[in-house]
Amino acid sequence: MNIRYQQIEGRSLGFYALVAGLGVLILTALGSVYFMEHHGHYVTGMNNRIVWGIPHVFALFLIIAASGALNVASIASVFQNKLYKPLSRLSGLVSLALLAGGLMVLVLDLGRPDRLIVAMTEYNFKSIFAWNIILYNGFFVIVAVYLWMMFERRMNKFSRKIGIAAFIWRLVLTTGTGSIFGLLVARHTYDAMIMAPKFIVMSFSFGLAFFILILIASYKWGDRPLGDVILNRLRNLLGVFVAAVLYFVIVFHIGNIYLAENNNVEMILFANGSIYTNLFWYGQIILGSIVPLVLIYHPAVKGNRSVLGLASILVIIGGIVQMYVLIVGGQAYPLEMFPGKDILEGYGGIVAYTPSFPEIALGVGGLALALVVVTLLVKFLPFLPESLADKVADPHHKI
Amino acid sequence: MRHLLIIFLALAFTSVFAHADKHVNLGDRATELKDEGKSRDIHPSLAEIRKMHPEFLLHKRDKTLRQGVRTQRDSLKECVNCHSSTKNDEYVPINAPDQFCSTCHQKVGTSLDCFSCHRTTPKEGL
Amino acid sequence: MNKELNRRDFLKNTTAVTAGVATIASGITLTTFAANDNPVTNEKRWGMLVDTNKLTESNINDMVNACQEENGWGSEIHSTGHQKPSWIKKIKVKDKVTGKIDMLPMMCQHCEHPPCVDVCPTNASMKREDGIVLVDKHLCIGCRYCMMACPYDARSFVHEDLSNQKEHMPRGKGTVESCTMCVHRVDKGEMPACAEAVSSNGVIFGDLYDANSKINQTLKKIQSTQIRTDLNLNTGVRYSGI
Ligand code: SF4
Ligand code: SF4
Repeated sequence: MNIRYQQIEGRSLGFYALVAGLGVLILTALGSVYFMEHHGHYVTGMNNRIVWGIPHVFALFLIIAASGALNVASIASVFQNKLYKPLSRLSGLVSLALLAGGLMVLVLDLGRPDRLIVAMTEYNFKSIFAWNIILYNGFFVIVAVYLWMMFERRMNKFSRKIGIAAFIWRLVLTTGTGSIFGLLVARHTYDAMIMAPKFIVMSFSFGLAFFILILIASYKWGDRPLGDVILNRLRNLLGVFVAAVLYFVIVFHIGNIYLAENNNVEMILFANGSIYTNLFWYGQIILGSIVPLVLIYHPAVKGNRSVLGLASILVIIGGIVQMYVLIVGGQAYPLEMFPGKDILEGYGGIVAYTPSFPEIALGVGGLALALVVVTLLVKFLPFLPESLADKVADPHHKI
Repeated sequence: MRHLLIIFLALAFTSVFAHADKHVNLGDRATELKDEGKSRDIHPSLAEIRKMHPEFLLHKRDKTLRQGVRTQRDSLKECVNCHSSTKNDEYVPINAPDQFCSTCHQKVGTSLDCFSCHRTTPKEGL
Repeated sequence: MNKELNRRDFLKNTTAVTAGVATIASGITLTTFAANDNPVTNEKRWGMLVDTNKLTESNINDMVNACQEENGWGSEIHSTGHQKPSWIKKIKVKDKVTGKIDMLPMMCQHCEHPPCVDVCPTNASMKREDGIVLVDKHLCIGCRYCMMACPYDARSFVHEDLSNQKEHMPRGKGTVESCTMCVHRVDKGEMPACAEAVSSNGVIFGDLYDANSKINQTLKKIQSTQIRTDLNLNTGVRYSGI
């Protein structure tokens, strides 16, 4: 099988418009950061109860999506699937780009981003957060090496080994990211080890959604042939992942309901009509899971690319909503400080959170950074196969 | 290697001595002590304190904060106490332009982070 | 966990000078505390016992005010609502079964196994040998993970620029802070400001390990509890009467 990779032209008006548009978003984000750091976090909606807000929603979403975007490459190299092989380079690229975007947001929201060097030199090895810093940096290195092995013909033979390493690394990475929440004993909204596996399936689903979108867009805008064989495979895979996330969400919440202690916490999600209830049901469950599943599996729209693209967009939106419900919703409910007692004064109540413009701009800026990295790199390096027509992608495919 | 080191040290020292012995704004109490001829009791070597004060402070900060060792030697409070100056009977923040800390720090272009948290004038009611 | 401090032990060979400086400098600071050059050890464990039966509402208000006064928090201009720092707060609880109402002051509980310290990526959150939990603001990057981890809502993030801080209590934008058990006073042999603000026996401060200390003896005699005992954090702040 001989796949030829080729840079994209990248001279069209559309290309420049895309880059310029993303550039504006990134500049807005940087301006917002300057504003937030100059004044302090009082200009955000975050406070001492909602300590992590919109920036963390975007950052963690992008980070777990990053690990999932590597899926396609993993399936190709670890599980030796020929069909996905030509997509491996793009998969690695999307993964790196998303991670870069997520880390940018995470770092720029720190109270003292100027002290980033401290975070790189002072490690508390008991802290899962410190481990995550190591995992993220390591992921960059491994995926970069992996890409190099794929690009460099004489290194090709190692690409499987390093692919396996990357695969394991990224499972650990997502587990680590999930554990940021899973290991908080004090917060009964988070404290459950199911968090880690749940994060892994979430990463599969969000990452693949990004990958599919970028794939469809770049082949359409680049006027390159993209066959249905590949897309249908990816479509089915996405369907499986979305269903798996839904399954985990159900198990997670049922589990929580059975732990009596968590009962009223669960109620804010399911029934009490707070913003989180609505976001959970309409955003995460209906818009982010059920509608995409219908779009993916309904016979009437099977094979329709725009519909697949739409489903991917919904999965991404649903994913952001899910992270919002998880991160912000999980903090909005008060800590159970006095079991058996009601707190009348001094603490308690569900805290309202109104994200301010700069925080949202920062989050969106991270997304834009990821996309601009992909856009520019496919122009300068041969990431994309010239053709992914059915003939090329799968020579044994019978028409 | 040796040569390089010597050149480097020479350069480093000249940069310290470059703006001579006169400090534009020594601070009220420090000026007094200097006039009384007592400043050498506190800083036996001018070169050392100029070069090494970040290390002294760093060392002291960890000892104080983490081990509860509270001595006046190398304490940032004491720096501020002696090196602040007054204007119209009020203390000027020591990190304000033209004040003791900022003059040098500006000149050599190093940031001065102490005072994003530490008090910039001597204790109230002095 | 302990930071290496033997980089260059300047203080060793300068203790002689310290005495000299103290006389020169005494004209300036006029403080009389004994220079304390021995590191604190784990032979002591500082703690506090709060007896809610002996505390009136105004006692608790006094404690909060004393803390603000001592440590200089609470006069932030821009921070609103939950953005305002709160190192110690008054909490009113009602028993779900009996309806009994209690009021108590809540601050950092100075856990023996502090979750905030475990999660802090940079070692900024730390516990001194004598059990006092502090934030090393030189290392804090403002990630707020410790705030996520603390079961007692004890920590605050500084949301705006500050000036005119207390000399003994550096505080600054972008870092996290919490009750320090008035470590600067404790090191001088004094009591935390909140404990001093209550004249009755409502708050007892002292060394939990010292069999002769009032707090140790009282704890042996009366029934007391830790908040969220089930988390096994072995807090330094204990309560009785709730
Ligand atoms: S009460 Fe909270 S801030 Fe204080 S030591 Fe325990 S976990 Fe840390
Ligand atoms: S906010 Fe500061 S003290 Fe808290 S975990 Fe982060 S670095 Fe540590």
